[in-house]
Amino acid sequence: MSELLLNDDQTAALQEIANIGMGQAGNSLARIWGEFVALSVPRIATVAAARLPELIQRCVGDGRVSAARLLFHGAMRGEALVVISAADRRTLGSLMGFPAPAGDGDPGAQLLHIAETLAGACLGGIARQFEATIGFGAPALIGEDLPARAVVRADTLGVDLALCLEVRFRVEARSLAAHLVMLMPRQEVQGLAVLLDRFLCTL
Amino acid sequence: MTISVLVVDDSPIARKMIRKALPADWDISIQEAGDGDEALAIYRSGGIDVIFLDLTMPRMDGFTLLEKLQQDDLNCFVIVVSADVQPGARERAMKLGAIEFVPKPIDPQALREVLREYGVMV
Repeated sequence: MSELLLNDDQTAALQEIANIGMGQAGNSLARIWGEFVALSVPRIATVAAARLPELIQRCVGDGRVSAARLLFHGAMRGEALVVISAADRRTLGSLMGFPAPAGDGDPGAQLLHIAETLAGACLGGIARQFEATIGFGAPALIGEDLPARAVVRADTLGVDLALCLEVRFRVEARSLAAHLVMLMPRQEVQGLAVLLDRFLCTL
Repeated sequence: MTISVLVVDDSPIARKMIRKALPADWDISIQEAGDGDEALAIYRSGGIDVIFLDLTMPRMDGFTLLEKLQQDDLNCFVIVVSADVQPGARERAMKLGAIEFVPKPIDPQALREVLREYGVMV
């Protein structure tokens, strides 16, 4: 059994706080996509870095994906990944009103916009619950049409253990889903635990 | 007269937050359920006056529970308390019989106003 980075109360608090952030992100996505977005219950797990590729694959399935990442810093520090199946990525253009005169237009820009919107709304929503602020780095494309297991390379993370928070946004009418995975390395989770304890004291 | 309240949310933290937001001087008895299935069983056992309902839950979600309650000739007030703040979620919940939609994080004052508006609390 792997070591846990948060206790049960802290995990439950983070799940509810993430739920609120996710709701705000879902609302932002619904505005962009012009469709109702079904939300999932946030999933939280402590994962060994070596198993992160497997976690991503479990979240999004066996197929090929497009992915983007952005770093967040401030009261919470870590990395947010936005992963969309390659098939779903192809439907994004029409939903987002991006011009695609020649083939896919600028697929990377669509994904980066989605990544920035989702991470900003969801993680920003979480930070607001803590009455804290976080900043974001510029979103960067990890790649298009990758195997799901290739989104994260465990050997480049520089951590042995990470806290993962996964939420899924699904447009039922178009069978389209986007996944947001927040990764916080072990050494950054202690700060989050302090914020969660402070939140729990208010209940 | 004691009002019978059912708080339905998969998160124990959210249930605690709702309990805390309820007026301290309100004469109520509270039951809790962690998903729609559990809530439906409690509702069907009778006597529930007010349900505070989350939408995003595992197994049976809030929308499905609202549909089931309608099929059972919904006979109580359902107030949705959800983080899903899309206008579409609110519309769908209201069409399915919810009397009001209170966004998370819950504002105790807003909740109190809803309860007064529907005469559930004087």
